[in-house]
Amino acid sequence: MTLSVTRHMVSTGVGTRAKDVRAAVEADVMTKVLLIEDDSETAEEITAELTDRGFEVEWSSNGIDGLDKARSLRPDAMIVDRLLPGMDGLTVIEALRNDNDRTPVLVLSALGAVDDRVRGLRMGGDDYLTKPFAVVELIARIEALLRRPVESRETTLRVGSVTLDLIERTATRGERKIDLLPREFRLLEYMMRRSDQLLTRAMLLEEVWNYKFVPATNLVDVHMGRLRHKVDGPDETPMIHNVRGAGFILRSLA
Amino acid sequence: MLQVQFIRSNTFRWALAVAAVLAIFIIALFGFIYVKIDHYLIDRSDRMIMTQADFIASLPPEHRPRAIQDHLEQDSRKVQFAGLFDPAGKPLAGNLERVPETLRVNASAQSVKATPNRGEQADPIIRAVGRRLPNGDALVIGRNVDETAEISHVVGEALALGLLPALCLCLLAGAWLSLRAQRRVDEVNQRVQRIIAGDLRERLPHRNVDEPFSRLAVIVNGMLDKMEAMIHALSGVGNDIAHDLRTPLTRARLTLERGRTNARTVEQLQQVVDKAIAGIDQSLAIITSLLRLAEIENSRRSAAFGAVPLHEMLREVCDVYEPIAEDKRVKLSVQIAGELEVRGDRDLLFEAVTNLVDNAIKFTPAGGDVEIGLARGDRQTIVRVSDTGPGIDRGETEAVLRRFYRSDKIRNTPGFGLGLNLVSAIVTLHGFQLVIHPGPGGRVEIICSDRSQD
Repeated sequence: MTLSVTRHMVSTGVGTRAKDVRAAVEADVMTKVLLIEDDSETAEEITAELTDRGFEVEWSSNGIDGLDKARSLRPDAMIVDRLLPGMDGLTVIEALRNDNDRTPVLVLSALGAVDDRVRGLRMGGDDYLTKPFAVVELIARIEALLRRPVESRETTLRVGSVTLDLIERTATRGERKIDLLPREFRLLEYMMRRSDQLLTRAMLLEEVWNYKFVPATNLVDVHMGRLRHKVDGPDETPMIHNVRGAGFILRSLA
Repeated sequence: MLQVQFIRSNTFRWALAVAAVLAIFIIALFGFIYVKIDHYLIDRSDRMIMTQADFIASLPPEHRPRAIQDHLEQDSRKVQFAGLFDPAGKPLAGNLERVPETLRVNASAQSVKATPNRGEQADPIIRAVGRRLPNGDALVIGRNVDETAEISHVVGEALALGLLPALCLCLLAGAWLSLRAQRRVDEVNQRVQRIIAGDLRERLPHRNVDEPFSRLAVIVNGMLDKMEAMIHALSGVGNDIAHDLRTPLTRARLTLERGRTNARTVEQLQQVVDKAIAGIDQSLAIITSLLRLAEIENSRRSAAFGAVPLHEMLREVCDVYEPIAEDKRVKLSVQIAGELEVRGDRDLLFEAVTNLVDNAIKFTPAGGDVEIGLARGDRQTIVRVSDTGPGIDRGETEAVLRRFYRSDKIRNTPGFGLGLNLVSAIVTLHGFQLVIHPGPGGRVEIICSDRSQD
């Protein structure tokens, strides 16, 4: 399986792979995240949490200063609040994109409006998170942005002993064939492209089910339960793990 | 104050303007009549004196005095003047002292000052013709046209008689109308002030429907009815929100308080914190749902509408919910009559149907059935979600659309009673219709009539 490796990869506590370790050794610089957020308390919380997880965080409280820092510090990822004093968050992103700066950006907003979300993404934001959010959700999304899979032309995905044939639409674990429904296949494909990453329920709903809302029922858990049942046989080492209160991980190494 | 208002009032000003225009019009009309009659009479008298002059001139000289005499004797009203003068200007016959000085001889009729020989009246202005006869005599025939002055007098009287009452009537009508309008405005103002002060049941007065003021009042009252209902609903929602938010927050607070005193280990404290977070999350979820509801209700995003293939969408809903139904040992099936499309927002419609299916599965006991149906009715496409659960009581089919309404039967099922509101908001946004059939057995339909697709 091909994984994108950003310039500076760190072990995020979610799993280590040879490639990650090599990347981290090659550039012993911490992953730099620029946070543009005008509420100092929220900013402190996010900074503390990200620092705990090994990120180097730069904080900027307004849009103009934020844009300056984004240009001078060249961060690996950015978290940008939608409404900022001085310069609107979306304007900051647009300015960066006009400079051909492709730094992944997570947009934060108190506005949950669907249209606003679409606008945020169209302006060049890579992901969008509505306030209030759980910190674990924010971290998971930042890590996902930092490790976005490259568009590979490979027709098979491999994680651990699981192989997914994207042409034949078949899945196997070792020698065992896994019978999957179309949506389960899509779910497994998404998880394999992002193995060893924490995937929150909201992320899965958005990416696998195309939901623009959070349904009342624990849809993800039920579907994940079925997929896990099929992927992890009774005498096999479990690969799909439930992280309590956060989401799921497909681990490549048992 | 009232006086000033009264004169300033638009109605009264209009009445004044109308009265003025009317007066000008009437005066012009009478003037026209006067001028026309005057012309006509003078014209006629001119022709008569010409004919008379021609006639007398055509007589032999010795018969003329006699003819003049006859002519004057026939005139009982004493309006005729005639005179025959010798070349020296000495009167030979008639009732004129001398030839009027300004009279041009052998011309057409003209106005001149006559000097009657009887002297009983002041020299009148008459219309006259003069003729120089072949024998050197001068013949003058004239007629007093004071009659026209009488006519103008009559016309003037008629004018006064007609115009004054008309003007008075105009002013009175104007004053009455403006006073009436002002009274209505004052009355409306009083009522509106009461509404502003908070009496939402107050309505504007209206008498009969044909009068514009009353029609306006009826329209405004309709609006007030709607607003009153909305405000009541809103304040009800406010209470419900407060209550529904307070419950989980109180729980979270209690948990934290007790945890602070009782927790002995980090694990115990973590458990407490987890419980508190769950409570806060529930409160946040309620707020999120409310905001989303407001967002849908306020949006006018029909611009983003496209063709939504309902058959595909319903199959997808079924596909997503099948495992969940199976977990509850409920049979979920889909009955599709054909490939049917409507215009709409796919994501929102998906959310609406999802909500209905979610509800149906939640309230159907194990062993029951939930069916998603797509059918074609009379110029309408119907999406139907039915189940074998308890359904909604006849008396509750409207209440379930109220925010936070939760039937007593389902008090213990998780949820916060906003689901059907959301469905209703989405359906309304599309111009569709949400029909909730009373139980037993749940049956909810989204009716997409073809008309609303235009």
